[in-house]
Parts: sequence; structure tokens; C-alpha cells
Amino acid sequence: MDTLVMELTEAKVVTPLVDQDAELLAACARGRTRAFHQLVEKYKRRAYYIALGLVGSSEDAWDLSQEAFVRIWKGRKSFDPSRPFWPWFYAILANLCKNCLRDRDVRVRHADGIRRMEEGRQDDVGNPEAVLLETETQQEVWAAIEQLPFKFREIIVLRHFQDMAYEDIARQLGIPEGSVMSRLFYARKKLREFLEHPETRGTCDV
Amino acid sequence: MFDHEKLARDVTRYLDGLMDPGEVRDFERLIDENPGLKAELVAQKQMKEVADGMSLTKLPDQIWDGYWKGVYRRIERGSGWFFLSAGLIILLAFGAYHLFADFLLNPMEPIIVRLGVAIAILGTIILLVSIGRERYFARCHDRYEREVER
Repeated sequence: MDTLVMELTEAKVVTPLVDQDAELLAACARGRTRAFHQLVEKYKRRAYYIALGLVGSSEDAWDLSQEAFVRIWKGRKSFDPSRPFWPWFYAILANLCKNCLRDRDVRVRHADGIRRMEEGRQDDVGNPEAVLLETETQQEVWAAIEQLPFKFREIIVLRHFQDMAYEDIARQLGIPEGSVMSRLFYARKKLREFLEHPETRGTCDV
Repeated sequence: MFDHEKLARDVTRYLDGLMDPGEVRDFERLIDENPGLKAELVAQKQMKEVADGMSLTKLPDQIWDGYWKGVYRRIERGSGWFFLSAGLIILLAFGAYHLFADFLLNPMEPIIVRLGVAIAILGTIILLVSIGRERYFARCHDRYEREVER
């Protein structure tokens, strides 16, 4: 039980310890893999769960979050220690997730054609791998979330699944706090539209 | 006329209890006067409750033990590929030098053979440059492919 609580707490860490991260990254820049190991241990769960919310597949989330850390290692010398680590990391992770979703979409289009893609989307809905789906409504909601445009899905994941404060989301995305709130409003609005009119799903770009 | 952006922000702030009592009073008055807005608020509240009630599937603890090894392996393989590529480039440069000096410029070799090899090499270079340029432009002009750097 304690382990589970600890895991959930780690998965929802909101304010990163900036100074400690800067020290670790400075050590990484000097080639210290032990410091990098510490950094990975500190953020791995958070990275994985955000990727999971964004791409909806456990395997992809594992892969993408690891790849984001590898890119951090490769770019460690360009890191500015006066700025927080997490927004930098998140930008890389979000970009990887976006690419993954786009490639997945392209693969489906190429392999099966537009008609089959629509069927595939119907088959994929309510993917039980990513989310605990206890009720039919939750299954429908998750299916709708998966079809949201990336910027809306992102805001839903950060606010509802990661339980982040608006201030932290704004810092992470590099947008004003007011924009976070209005984006969340439009995301929920789109979500409701998808739930009420499922035929409109799949009409948005990734 | 409503300021839609402000209204969107206010609905979110209201639902999250981030308004002060004065703002709540004004906002509730606005809601009472606008049935459309009231319906939107109810719908937003419903969506918020449903989304709040969902949670991601947690991985068992033992799976996390292998996470760092996975990251480390990727870095290790990246270094492997880098050294392999660097070594091959050095060997190819050496080979190209000797090909040029000992074969293409060698008057003892038949001119037709030297010409054929030179043309084949030129064709290969043009193909490689063309593919490289295509990939470079595709990467630069694709907004999703751009690397995030600071």
C-alpha cells in the first residue's frame, strides 16, 4: 500500500527541485552517468505516465519516455542551468509523442486506406491498456480523449491525469496561465462534442 | 457582447474554486441571466467530473527496475553507432585517396576503365547528395520533425 502511495506521489510530482536538477545536469555535462541515472530515476515515472496519457499505449509510452532521456543525454551540454529542467524535458517528450501519433496515423492510412482507418479507429476505442476503465462512460470518454487534437489531449492529461496546477502547466507549456484555463475549457467542450456526436471524431489533426 | 476567452477562463476558474467571493457572485449573476451559458457550465462540470474520475493504469514496481538499463542500452548503442560510422568514414576516405592516387591518376591503367570508374563514382555521389538533400529539407519543413532545443 505504501509503495503504491509512493508511486502515485512520484507520478504526480508538481514542482521540480530546480537547483538539484541543475547540479545533476551540470554533472551530466561533465559525462557523469551516475548523475544522469539519478535524474532518470527521479523523473522516469512522471515521463512515462505523461507519455501514456498522450499516446495511449504502454509500450510506446515506455519507448518514447526512454528516448526523451536519451536526447537529454545527447543535448546535455546545451542545457542552460539557470532554467528549469522539466519544461525542456517535457518539450522533447511531447514532440516525440506528437511524432509517434502522426506516424501511427500515417501508417494506418498507408496500410489500410481511409475507409479501413475509420474502422480501425472504431476498433481502437476504449483501449484498456492505458486507463483504468471501470464504467462504460469512462470507456467512451477515453475513446473521445484519444481522438482530441494534441494540444487538447495534452491539457487534459496534465490537468486531470497528472493533477498539475495551472501555474505549473503554464510553465511547462510556456504559455500564460489564462491560456491554460481557456484551452482546458475548449478541450472539455470538444470532448463533449465527441461524446455527443461520435461521428465527428477523427476529423481533427493530430 | 461576451469576451469568449475571458468567459472560458472564468468557467474554468469557477469550477476549480479559484474565484474570490465577489467574483463568484458576479459570475453566478451572469450565469442566471444567460441560460446558454448555464447549460455550458453544467456540461463543463460534467466533463470535469468524468475526467477527474479517470486514472492511468499503474505499472507494477518490479517493471521500473529495468527502466534505467533500457535508457543506458540506448545510449551505449548510440555511442557504438557513432564510433562505427567514424571508423568507416576514415576507412572510406583512405580508400578514396588510394583509388584516386593509385588508380584514377595511374597512366598504366586503361583510360576507358578509369573513365568508367570515375563516372560511376560521380553518379553515386550525385545520388547520395540528392537523397541527403531531400531528407534535410523534409526535416526542416516538417513542423513535427523539428527537434526541440534550448
